[in-house]
Amino acid sequence: MSYSMEDTQNSAPESINASKLGAARKGNDGQNAAKRLQTELMQLMTSPAPGVSAFPSADGNLLSWKATIEGPDDTPYAGLTFKLSFEFPANYPYAPPTVLFITPIYHPNFDFSGRICLDILKDKWTAAYNIQTVLLSLQSLLGEPNNASPLNGEAAELWDKDPALFKTKVMDRHKDIEDDE
Amino acid sequence: MATAVASQWKNRRRRVFESVFQTDISQPTPYSTPAATFLGQNQPFGGPAASNDHHYHHTRGTAASSAAFFPLQQKQHHPHPEHGLFHETEPSVAHSPTTSSQSTILAESPPAQPRFPSLVNTADDQIAYDRAWHVVTARIALPASATADDSFGTLAPESQQTPRGSVADADFYEAMNCLVNAKTVLPRATHTEDIVSWHAQQVRAHFAQHVIPLWAVCVNDQAVAMWVNRDNGYERHMAIVMTSIRTLEAALRLYFYGLELLMRGFRRAEETSGSDKGTADAELVAVRFRRDIHALVSISASEELMRSVRFVMMRLVGTVLGIPSVDASNADTSQPDRPSPPTEDDVKAAAARQRLHQLVEQLHNVGLAGERFQVMFAEIMDQMMCDFVRGAYAGVWTASDRPIFSTTPNTISRSAISSSSSPCIISLADWVENHFSRLSYEVLSRTSPSMSSPVTLANVKTYQALALSRLAVLRIAELFDIVLAWPSSRGALDDLRATITTSARRLQLTTSFSRALQTRLLHPGCSTLEILQTYIAIIRTLHALDHSKVLLGHVEPNLRLYLCQREDAIRIVVIGLLASPEEVRAARKATEVAKRQEKSQREGVKEPSRRTRADRAPFMTPVMPGGSSRTPNTRRRKENTPESGPKSRPATPTSARPQVPTKLVELALLLNDPAQTRRAAPDEEDLDWNDMNWVPDPVDAGANYKRPKSEDVIGTLISALGSEDVFINEFTSIIAERLLGEPGRFDQELRVLDLLKRRFGEAALQNCDVMIKDVQDSRRLDAAIRRTRQQDGAEQRALSTPAGPPGRPRENESTSSAETQYHARILSRLFWPALEREHFLLPRPIVEQQKEYEQDYESLKSGRKLTWLNQLGQTRVELELRDRTVTVDCTTVEATVIYAFQDPDSSSDSDAVRRSADELYNELQMDEDLIAAALSFWASKGVLRRLQHGVYAVAETLTTDPTSAADQAGASASAEESEPQQDPLRKPTKPAVDAKEQERRAIYWQYIRSMLTNSSASMTLGQMAMMMKMMIADGFPWSNEELQEFLSEKIAEGQLEVTGVKYRLVKK
Repeated sequence: MSYSMEDTQNSAPESINASKLGAARKGNDGQNAAKRLQTELMQLMTSPAPGVSAFPSADGNLLSWKATIEGPDDTPYAGLTFKLSFEFPANYPYAPPTVLFITPIYHPNFDFSGRICLDILKDKWTAAYNIQTVLLSLQSLLGEPNNASPLNGEAAELWDKDPALFKTKVMDRHKDIEDDE
Repeated sequence: MATAVASQWKNRRRRVFESVFQTDISQPTPYSTPAATFLGQNQPFGGPAASNDHHYHHTRGTAASSAAFFPLQQKQHHPHPEHGLFHETEPSVAHSPTTSSQSTILAESPPAQPRFPSLVNTADDQIAYDRAWHVVTARIALPASATADDSFGTLAPESQQTPRGSVADADFYEAMNCLVNAKTVLPRATHTEDIVSWHAQQVRAHFAQHVIPLWAVCVNDQAVAMWVNRDNGYERHMAIVMTSIRTLEAALRLYFYGLELLMRGFRRAEETSGSDKGTADAELVAVRFRRDIHALVSISASEELMRSVRFVMMRLVGTVLGIPSVDASNADTSQPDRPSPPTEDDVKAAAARQRLHQLVEQLHNVGLAGERFQVMFAEIMDQMMCDFVRGAYAGVWTASDRPIFSTTPNTISRSAISSSSSPCIISLADWVENHFSRLSYEVLSRTSPSMSSPVTLANVKTYQALALSRLAVLRIAELFDIVLAWPSSRGALDDLRATITTSARRLQLTTSFSRALQTRLLHPGCSTLEILQTYIAIIRTLHALDHSKVLLGHVEPNLRLYLCQREDAIRIVVIGLLASPEEVRAARKATEVAKRQEKSQREGVKEPSRRTRADRAPFMTPVMPGGSSRTPNTRRRKENTPESGPKSRPATPTSARPQVPTKLVELALLLNDPAQTRRAAPDEEDLDWNDMNWVPDPVDAGANYKRPKSEDVIGTLISALGSEDVFINEFTSIIAERLLGEPGRFDQELRVLDLLKRRFGEAALQNCDVMIKDVQDSRRLDAAIRRTRQQDGAEQRALSTPAGPPGRPRENESTSSAETQYHARILSRLFWPALEREHFLLPRPIVEQQKEYEQDYESLKSGRKLTWLNQLGQTRVELELRDRTVTVDCTTVEATVIYAFQDPDSSSDSDAVRRSADELYNELQMDEDLIAAALSFWASKGVLRRLQHGVYAVAETLTTDPTSAADQAGASASAEESEPQQDPLRKPTKPAVDAKEQERRAIYWQYIRSMLTNSSASMTLGQMAMMMKMMIADGFPWSNEELQEFLSEKIAEGQLEVTGVKYRLVKK
């Protein structure tokens, strides 16, 4: 935005050709994403949702975040804390972020390397979603897995058949990670 | 006394000299050894080899031991060198008793007994040669007396004693013949020597022994006199130079006399021998001798002498070139005369010129005009050029509208200087050509006559280029003052533009200017307003200097950096932009008045000086009022220079513009200047083949350089103030303030807004648009609501303007509630800067009005609700007191407070109503600070009286009885007391800031917690501060210390723990 303003400062309007405009828009994407993320961060801070939090990673790169989800009560995950990583594309929010569980988790919709099967992170993504909504969705997914499209078939089976075993597997798999030590 | 000291000193000096150099010259008999050993001076009579030989022969018969004789003779020679020399050939000369016997023996002894028979012929020839040698050397021997310089004028006494008759001459020439043609005449003489070398040698010795000491004495006499009389005057130096020259002239006459004799002998000898080959040799020898002597003189010239020569030259050259010497002018006036070239009929200059010519010729004749002199002359001329440029043009910035030359400039190189050049440059070029070069030519042609044209046209050009570069250096040094004096200093910029032609010089300009900025502007002593004003001047000056703005770009960074530290900079710029037309008019008038004054001053100066100007016709220093006149008119100068003289240029911007008001109205002026925004389409310009003023981009332009189209002061300034967001935020809040202030049409605001939109785009200033629209809408809405209420039957008159919410109300209210007129401004909360609500209870009539208004509004705009911001209103209050009526425009807070003093039952006229601050606090639920401020406000208006601490009463009458007088005093005292506690009135947002701060801290804590939860479980203070700065969109204003303090609080609350330098959250 500000770049194209500058152009109009120094040249007549007709001199701005299409390619210039296109270039200007492209160059702005990263900045827009950063701006948007800053705003989201501010929203997260001013109106935090219980049980979830997120913050840009320690290297100061706004396009890479870390998030924390506390396992909801009344689920096998109660009392556990899960860490996630968010990688935002430069054209965020027009494309979804890549979200991974860092903390090992046993769950029908998450595989062992932390990948997530969630439609809003794939084709159902819209720019109206934000970090907070993603985190809340994931949190609710912990309590209500979508067993129709499991990434972890065993977990999907156990969820219904043997909740006790499921709980054990969850506890076995989970281990707290200290990210910086 | 002085003379006694001097002569003593002289003697001592001579003794020292002799003891060191043993200046016993004249060994008339040549050495048998090669000439290389000829320099030995301490050898008696012919040198060791020859004398041994001779003494052997001479003394053998007398059985005197040569060993015994030798030392004795040697000893005797020292005290009486002039007598002991010629004992062999001239025994009749008086001898001192001790030596006479020896000499007699020598004289009586038969000429050279052959030592070995085979050597007889050889010895004869040798003896003949020796005799001839003695004849010649005796003739040309130099006198040894060195007591007075006049003795040099004559020949040595012995030479004189010899009759000048033909006999002596014949002897001499015969002897010369022998010497010159020794090979043919005396073929067997083995020891022959070159007589000219001998002469040169004796001259050297003589010079060293006698002339140099004398010379030193001359110089020292004067130096001592100068020291004694504390007088370093020109006359003294002149005396030194002249006596030195006279001494040298006398000595040289003597030396050349001998040479002349020898030359004559050569010629005779050649005539005799018939060969003409010798003539050329003789000439060559003579030339060489002359050159040797000159070299000798110039090498032995002492530092003192050269200093004097330099001084004398400086003075003379200065006079000729029209540069007043320092010591001449500093005596009488504080401001020295400006240099200006002398006119043709200037007697002093003409005399000086003549004197200079003489002096140079004399110096040349005595050999002092050698390389050393030329180097010195070059240095002098260089310094003169510097002095002239500095003296004539320093502070002369105003372009003269009158031609400088009243006569046609006779400048051949006129074309070299473009016709558009500034007056300074033209006059400087003229000076270089007609005075500087002329003088150089005159001097150089005298010192090196062999050179056909010592100063060529190319040299003149070089001189002019040099002078221009000096001018450039001067202007560069003055640039900061030039900027301060803008726009009256345009002339100086013309100079600069013409001289700043290389990138090195541009760099020099920017560096020097940056340094000046650093030391003179960017320090805490300058207010932000001054800095900004100077910045504007810099932008305009440098733009005038260099349209490409590259120079400006080089200078700016420091300034911008510094301005970022000035928090009020943006505010000042915005307020300046928003200056009302009245203020602009006033500023313009002030400028005009200043200009007129300056003009009239200048004319006032010109009037009296016109007289003097007429007679310094061909040259006129461009417009320096009072400065350029060479006619001393001290009184006038003194009168005028304080205002206009260059020396009076203020060192700081403050004094430079005393008339400038407290706002940056220049910006408002510039805003109305169409030239500021004019810009040509770049394509058009690039394609304009007919643009004769086109210049390529400057070489020092950066890679992304874009040619700017106009001066664009405002744009540059705004971009210098940091990010546009910051500027827009500031602009928005100022606009908000103004919109909430006095109702008006906001024309200026709209215009500025339009300008800024063009710069930043519509979107960025959308808030401002909405704000202005809010105000305009609320005016309409207000009218509509009032109409409704009138239809309702309520007779309400409207006068005042409350602002409404989602904004705020303003109420206008006086004693009778029924007649209160109530207006509101309805603001759209999202688009306005954060406005805090201040809680307090409005007077009941107002609350009723508010309610009605609210209902009306909600009926007009269904689904919307008003939130009242009571403290932002303005009120006109009419107070009916017992003996007077007071009408005051005040804030709603003040109005509410005074309303509380309203007599509950207006019938009782017994006692004035009194209230305490505490009562008011309970009643109004208003912030205590606000109450105190409002009470002080009313006390200062004379409406309330302070009775005791915190208790006020209405001053119903303005009686002068002692009690109330005391009360008055108390009231005013309380007003003063309240000063220090910061009138909350003036800072109504102060409590709000605290609330905001609280909120901010909460958010920051959230950030920190989240950061420690997600990013990294433990972080150092520095990391955290850095992350906060990066992550918070509005910036993170805390310093590390503040953050640390905040974290310490959290540690104290048990939320945070610190291990080493790292903070981490306490695990629950």
